[in-house]
Amino acid sequence: MSAPETGAPGAPPRRRFPEGTTAEDLKAYMGPFVERLGYKFNTDGEFVAMVLEGELEVLATTGDVYCPCRMRTGDPKEDVKIICPCIPFFRDEFAGMRKCWCGLFIRADVEDGAALMGVIAEPEGPIEVPVARVDDMRDGEARRVKVGKTALAVFRVDGEFFALSDVCRHAFAPLSEGWLDGHAVMCPWHGWRYDVRDGTTDHPDADVRTYPVTVRDGEVLVTV
Amino acid sequence: MRVKVFALSTCPYCRMSRQFLDENGVAYDVVEVDKLEDDDKQTAIAEVKSLSGGTSFPVIVVGDEVVVGYNKVRIKELLGL
Ligand code: SF4
Ligand code: FES
Repeated sequence: MSAPETGAPGAPPRRRFPEGTTAEDLKAYMGPFVERLGYKFNTDGEFVAMVLEGELEVLATTGDVYCPCRMRTGDPKEDVKIICPCIPFFRDEFAGMRKCWCGLFIRADVEDGAALMGVIAEPEGPIEVPVARVDDMRDGEARRVKVGKTALAVFRVDGEFFALSDVCRHAFAPLSEGWLDGHAVMCPWHGWRYDVRDGTTDHPDADVRTYPVTVRDGEVLVTV
Repeated sequence: MRVKVFALSTCPYCRMSRQFLDENGVAYDVVEVDKLEDDDKQTAIAEVKSLSGGTSFPVIVVGDEVVVGYNKVRIKELLGL
Protein backbone atom coordinates (compact mmCIF):
# COMPACT_ATOMS: atom_id res chain seq x y z
CA MET A 1 0.00 0.00 0.00
CA SER A 2 1.50 3.34 -0.97
CA ALA A 3 1.11 6.15 1.55
CA PRO A 4 -0.42 9.39 0.26
CA GLU A 5 1.66 12.50 0.74
CA THR A 6 -1.03 14.48 2.59
CA GLY A 7 -1.20 15.18 6.32
CA ALA A 8 1.38 16.00 8.95
CA PRO A 9 4.54 13.90 9.00
CA GLY A 10 3.93 10.74 10.94
CA ALA A 11 0.18 11.27 11.08
CA PRO A 12 -1.89 8.39 9.78
CA PRO A 13 -3.11 9.15 6.28
CA ARG A 14 -6.66 10.43 6.13
CA ARG A 15 -8.32 8.38 3.45
CA ARG A 16 -12.02 8.35 2.88
CA PHE A 17 -11.58 6.09 -0.06
CA PRO A 18 -9.12 3.27 0.59
CA GLU A 19 -7.48 1.14 -2.03
CA GLY A 20 -10.00 -0.95 -3.88
CA THR A 21 -12.61 1.83 -3.93
CA THR A 22 -14.96 1.36 -6.89
CA ALA A 23 -17.09 3.67 -8.96
CA GLU A 24 -20.10 2.30 -7.13
CA ASP A 25 -18.53 3.30 -3.79
CA LEU A 26 -18.03 6.84 -5.04
CA LYS A 27 -21.59 6.99 -6.30
CA ALA A 28 -22.98 5.81 -3.00
CA TYR A 29 -20.92 8.39 -1.10
CA MET A 30 -21.64 11.35 -3.36
CA GLY A 31 -25.27 10.73 -4.28
CA PRO A 32 -26.91 11.80 -1.01
CA PHE A 33 -24.59 14.80 -0.72
CA VAL A 34 -25.27 16.28 -4.15
CA GLU A 35 -28.97 15.70 -3.63
CA ARG A 36 -28.77 18.17 -0.71
CA LEU A 37 -27.24 20.66 -3.11
CA GLY A 38 -29.97 20.34 -5.71
CA TYR A 39 -28.05 18.07 -8.08
CA LYS A 40 -28.07 14.47 -9.28
CA PHE A 41 -25.84 12.20 -11.32
CA ASN A 42 -25.94 12.79 -15.06
CA THR A 43 -28.68 10.74 -16.70
CA ASP A 44 -26.12 9.48 -19.21
CA GLY A 45 -24.81 6.46 -17.33
CA GLU A 46 -21.99 5.70 -19.74
CA PHE A 47 -20.69 9.22 -19.34
CA VAL A 48 -20.91 8.98 -15.54
CA ALA A 49 -18.86 5.79 -15.68
CA MET A 50 -16.23 7.57 -17.75
CA VAL A 51 -15.91 10.51 -15.32
CA LEU A 52 -15.74 8.23 -12.30
CA GLU A 53 -13.06 6.16 -13.99
CA GLY A 54 -11.04 9.37 -14.33
CA GLU A 55 -11.64 10.16 -10.65
CA LEU A 56 -10.44 6.73 -9.59
CA GLU A 57 -7.24 7.31 -11.54
CA VAL A 58 -6.77 10.65 -9.77
CA LEU A 59 -7.55 8.97 -6.45
CA ALA A 60 -4.88 6.36 -7.06
CA THR A 61 -2.20 8.95 -7.75
CA THR A 62 -3.16 11.69 -5.26
CA GLY A 63 -5.09 10.00 -2.44
CA ASP A 64 -8.31 11.97 -2.96
CA VAL A 65 -10.98 12.44 -5.60
CA TYR A 66 -9.84 15.67 -7.18
CA CYS A 67 -11.73 16.79 -10.24
CA PRO A 68 -10.55 14.81 -13.26
CA CYS A 69 -11.01 17.84 -15.52
CA ARG A 70 -9.03 20.40 -13.60
CA MET A 71 -5.42 20.67 -12.57
CA ARG A 72 -4.40 20.82 -8.94
CA THR A 73 -2.32 23.87 -8.09
CA GLY A 74 -0.33 22.30 -5.25
CA ASP A 75 -1.78 24.88 -2.83
CA PRO A 76 -3.99 22.86 -0.44
CA LYS A 77 -6.27 25.86 0.23
CA GLU A 78 -7.05 26.13 -3.46
CA ASP A 79 -7.12 22.45 -4.21
CA VAL A 80 -9.68 21.72 -1.52
CA LYS A 81 -12.17 23.49 -3.78
CA ILE A 82 -11.80 20.94 -6.54
CA ILE A 83 -12.38 17.80 -4.53
CA CYS A 84 -15.41 16.12 -6.04
CA PRO A 85 -18.24 17.07 -5.67
CA CYS A 86 -17.09 20.68 -5.84
CA ILE A 87 -20.59 22.15 -6.26
CA PRO A 88 -20.58 24.32 -3.07
CA PHE A 89 -17.58 26.25 -4.39
CA PHE A 90 -19.05 26.90 -7.82
CA ARG A 91 -22.74 27.28 -7.09
CA ASP A 92 -23.26 30.21 -9.42
CA GLU A 93 -21.30 28.87 -12.36
CA PHE A 94 -22.85 25.43 -12.19
CA ALA A 95 -26.36 26.76 -11.63
CA GLY A 96 -25.94 28.78 -14.82
CA MET A 97 -24.67 25.80 -16.84
CA ARG A 98 -27.17 23.49 -15.11
CA LYS A 99 -24.35 21.02 -14.62
CA CYS A 100 -20.95 20.77 -13.00
CA TRP A 101 -17.87 21.49 -15.03
CA CYS A 102 -17.22 17.85 -15.99
CA GLY A 103 -20.89 17.02 -16.39
CA LEU A 104 -20.82 14.31 -13.76
CA PHE A 105 -23.66 16.07 -11.98
CA ILE A 106 -26.63 17.89 -13.44
CA ARG A 107 -29.25 20.00 -11.72
CA ALA A 108 -32.08 18.01 -10.23
CA ASP A 109 -34.57 19.57 -12.67
CA VAL A 110 -32.66 18.60 -15.83
CA GLU A 111 -34.21 15.65 -17.62
CA ASP A 112 -31.69 14.92 -20.35
CA GLY A 113 -28.10 15.26 -19.18
CA ALA A 114 -26.69 14.20 -22.55
CA ALA A 115 -28.25 17.28 -24.17
CA LEU A 116 -26.16 19.51 -21.91
CA MET A 117 -22.89 18.01 -23.06
CA GLY A 118 -20.45 20.59 -24.24
CA VAL A 119 -22.32 23.46 -22.61
CA ILE A 120 -19.71 25.48 -20.81
CA ALA A 121 -20.80 29.09 -21.07
CA GLU A 122 -22.77 30.72 -18.32
CA PRO A 123 -25.94 32.41 -19.48
CA GLU A 124 -26.02 36.17 -19.06
CA GLY A 125 -28.05 37.84 -16.38
CA PRO A 126 -29.52 36.64 -13.10
CA ILE A 127 -29.52 32.92 -12.33
CA GLU A 128 -31.54 30.81 -9.95
CA VAL A 129 -29.23 28.97 -7.60
CA PRO A 130 -30.38 26.05 -5.42
CA VAL A 131 -29.43 26.87 -1.83
CA ALA A 132 -31.37 24.40 0.31
CA ARG A 133 -34.16 21.88 0.31
CA VAL A 134 -37.40 22.87 1.95
CA ASP A 135 -37.25 19.85 4.27
CA ASP A 136 -33.69 20.55 5.33
CA MET A 137 -34.58 23.77 7.15
CA ARG A 138 -37.01 24.26 10.00
CA ASP A 139 -38.92 27.40 10.86
CA GLY A 140 -36.69 29.85 12.69
CA GLU A 141 -33.59 28.37 11.12
CA ALA A 142 -30.91 30.30 9.25
CA ARG A 143 -28.20 29.17 6.93
CA ARG A 144 -25.20 30.83 5.33
CA VAL A 145 -24.68 29.98 1.68
CA LYS A 146 -21.89 31.26 -0.51
CA VAL A 147 -22.83 31.88 -4.11
CA GLY A 148 -19.72 32.92 -5.99
CA LYS A 149 -18.36 35.85 -4.03
CA THR A 150 -21.72 36.65 -2.43
CA ALA A 151 -22.52 35.42 1.09
CA LEU A 152 -26.23 34.91 1.60
CA ALA A 153 -28.21 34.42 4.78
CA VAL A 154 -31.21 32.20 4.07
CA PHE A 155 -34.02 32.19 6.67
CA ARG A 156 -37.15 30.16 7.09
CA VAL A 157 -40.05 31.87 8.88
CA ASP A 158 -43.54 30.32 9.03
CA GLY A 159 -42.76 28.02 6.12
CA GLU A 160 -41.57 30.90 3.95
CA PHE A 161 -37.99 31.48 2.82
CA PHE A 162 -36.03 34.73 2.65
CA ALA A 163 -32.54 35.52 1.43
CA LEU A 164 -30.45 38.54 2.30
CA SER A 165 -26.88 39.59 2.24
CA ASP A 166 -25.13 37.87 5.13
CA VAL A 167 -23.11 40.93 6.01
CA CYS A 168 -24.39 43.27 8.70
CA ARG A 169 -23.97 46.90 7.68
CA HIS A 170 -22.72 47.88 11.14
CA ALA A 171 -19.49 45.91 11.54
CA PHE A 172 -19.97 43.11 9.03
CA ALA A 173 -21.13 40.28 11.31
CA PRO A 174 -22.78 37.27 9.64
CA LEU A 175 -26.54 37.72 10.04
CA SER A 176 -27.04 33.99 9.52
CA GLU A 177 -25.62 33.56 13.02
CA GLY A 178 -28.14 35.94 14.54
CA TRP A 179 -31.52 35.21 16.17
CA LEU A 180 -34.93 35.41 14.62
CA ASP A 181 -37.74 37.21 16.37
CA GLY A 182 -40.70 36.89 14.05
CA HIS A 183 -39.54 38.39 10.77
CA ALA A 184 -36.69 40.29 12.42
CA VAL A 185 -33.18 38.96 12.62
CA MET A 186 -31.00 40.30 15.41
CA CYS A 187 -27.36 40.66 14.46
CA PRO A 188 -25.18 38.44 16.65
CA TRP A 189 -22.67 41.18 17.38
CA HIS A 190 -24.55 44.32 18.46
CA GLY A 191 -28.17 43.41 18.01
CA TRP A 192 -29.16 45.55 15.04
CA ARG A 193 -32.44 44.26 13.70
CA TYR A 194 -33.21 43.65 10.06
CA ASP A 195 -36.53 42.64 8.55
CA VAL A 196 -35.82 39.47 6.58
CA ARG A 197 -38.64 40.31 4.14
CA ASP A 198 -37.09 43.49 2.76
CA GLY A 199 -33.71 43.92 4.45
CA THR A 200 -34.73 47.13 6.18
CA THR A 201 -33.31 48.21 9.50
CA ASP A 202 -34.02 51.11 11.85
CA HIS A 203 -30.58 52.61 11.28
CA PRO A 204 -30.47 55.15 8.49
CA ASP A 205 -28.90 54.02 5.21
CA ALA A 206 -28.01 50.62 6.56
CA ASP A 207 -30.50 48.29 4.86
CA VAL A 208 -29.09 45.04 3.50
CA ARG A 209 -29.74 43.69 0.05
CA THR A 210 -32.41 41.02 -0.37
CA TYR A 211 -32.61 38.40 -3.08
CA PRO A 212 -35.72 36.89 -4.69
CA VAL A 213 -36.52 33.39 -3.46
CA THR A 214 -38.50 30.76 -5.35
CA VAL A 215 -39.59 27.39 -4.01
CA ARG A 216 -39.97 24.69 -6.65
CA ASP A 217 -40.18 20.90 -6.36
CA GLY A 218 -39.09 21.02 -2.74
CA GLU A 219 -36.06 23.17 -3.48
CA VAL A 220 -35.27 26.68 -2.37
CA LEU A 221 -33.82 28.74 -5.22
CA VAL A 222 -32.31 32.18 -4.84
CA THR A 223 -31.92 34.50 -7.81
CA VAL A 224 -28.55 36.24 -7.75
CA MET B 1 -4.90 26.23 -39.15
CA ARG B 2 -2.80 25.12 -36.21
CA VAL B 3 -4.80 23.25 -33.60
CA LYS B 4 -3.45 22.41 -30.17
CA VAL B 5 -5.22 20.61 -27.37
CA PHE B 6 -4.18 20.94 -23.74
CA ALA B 7 -5.69 17.94 -21.97
CA LEU B 8 -5.64 15.85 -18.85
CA SER B 9 -5.47 12.09 -19.23
CA THR B 10 -8.33 11.71 -16.74
CA CYS B 11 -10.77 14.18 -18.29
CA PRO B 12 -13.80 12.96 -20.29
CA TYR B 13 -14.34 16.21 -22.20
CA CYS B 14 -10.71 16.05 -23.29
CA ARG B 15 -11.25 12.57 -24.64
CA MET B 16 -14.47 13.60 -26.37
CA SER B 17 -12.87 16.67 -27.92
CA ARG B 18 -10.01 14.64 -29.32
CA GLN B 19 -12.39 12.04 -30.64
CA PHE B 20 -14.39 14.77 -32.32
CA LEU B 21 -11.28 16.20 -33.98
CA ASP B 22 -10.18 12.71 -35.05
CA GLU B 23 -13.55 11.93 -36.54
CA ASN B 24 -13.43 15.13 -38.53
CA GLY B 25 -9.91 14.47 -39.80
CA VAL B 26 -8.45 17.51 -38.05
CA ALA B 27 -4.73 17.30 -37.35
CA TYR B 28 -3.69 18.64 -33.95
CA ASP B 29 -0.99 18.60 -31.32
CA VAL B 30 -1.90 17.40 -27.89
CA VAL B 31 -0.27 18.06 -24.52
CA GLU B 32 -1.35 15.80 -21.68
CA VAL B 33 -0.47 18.16 -18.89
CA ASP B 34 -0.85 15.69 -16.01
CA LYS B 35 1.60 13.32 -17.68
CA LEU B 36 4.38 15.89 -17.87
CA GLU B 37 7.12 16.12 -15.28
CA ASP B 38 8.43 19.00 -13.18
CA ASP B 39 9.40 22.04 -15.25
CA ASP B 40 7.55 20.93 -18.35
CA LYS B 41 4.42 20.54 -16.29
CA GLN B 42 4.75 23.97 -14.67
CA THR B 43 5.37 25.58 -18.04
CA ALA B 44 2.31 23.90 -19.53
CA ILE B 45 0.13 24.91 -16.56
CA ALA B 46 1.32 28.50 -16.88
CA GLU B 47 0.49 28.41 -20.59
CA VAL B 48 -2.99 27.03 -19.91
CA LYS B 49 -3.60 29.73 -17.30
CA SER B 50 -2.54 32.53 -19.59
CA LEU B 51 -4.62 31.15 -22.46
CA SER B 52 -7.79 30.39 -20.56
CA GLY B 53 -7.58 32.27 -17.29
CA GLY B 54 -7.99 29.05 -15.33
CA THR B 55 -6.95 25.44 -15.05
CA SER B 56 -10.02 23.71 -16.41
CA PHE B 57 -9.59 21.33 -19.30
CA PRO B 58 -9.59 20.88 -22.22
CA VAL B 59 -8.14 24.10 -23.57
CA ILE B 60 -8.23 24.00 -27.35
CA VAL B 61 -6.28 26.50 -29.39
CA VAL B 62 -7.52 27.02 -32.94
CA GLY B 63 -5.36 29.56 -34.75
CA ASP B 64 -5.47 32.53 -32.37
CA GLU B 65 -8.74 31.56 -30.74
CA VAL B 66 -9.06 29.68 -27.47
CA VAL B 67 -11.92 27.33 -26.62
CA VAL B 68 -12.30 26.14 -23.04
CA GLY B 69 -14.21 22.89 -22.57
CA TYR B 70 -15.84 20.58 -25.08
CA ASN B 71 -17.71 23.35 -26.84
CA LYS B 72 -18.57 21.52 -30.04
CA VAL B 73 -20.49 24.41 -31.53
CA ARG B 74 -17.60 26.82 -31.14
CA ILE B 75 -15.00 24.31 -32.35
CA LYS B 76 -17.04 23.59 -35.46
CA GLU B 77 -17.43 27.28 -36.12
CA LEU B 78 -13.72 27.96 -35.82
CA LEU B 79 -12.76 25.03 -38.02
CA GLY B 80 -15.50 25.70 -40.55
CA LEU B 81 -16.95 22.21 -40.15
S1 SF4 C 1 -16.72 19.58 -11.78
FE1 SF4 C 1 -18.06 17.85 -11.38
S2 SF4 C 1 -16.75 16.06 -11.58
FE2 SF4 C 1 -15.41 17.84 -11.33
S3 SF4 C 1 -15.07 17.94 -9.12
FE3 SF4 C 1 -16.77 19.27 -9.57
S4 SF4 C 1 -18.54 18.00 -9.22
FE4 SF4 C 1 -16.81 16.61 -9.42
S1 FES D 1 -22.09 44.02 13.36
FE1 FES D 1 -24.19 43.80 13.27
S2 FES D 1 -24.91 45.04 14.85
FE2 FES D 1 -22.78 45.36 14.89
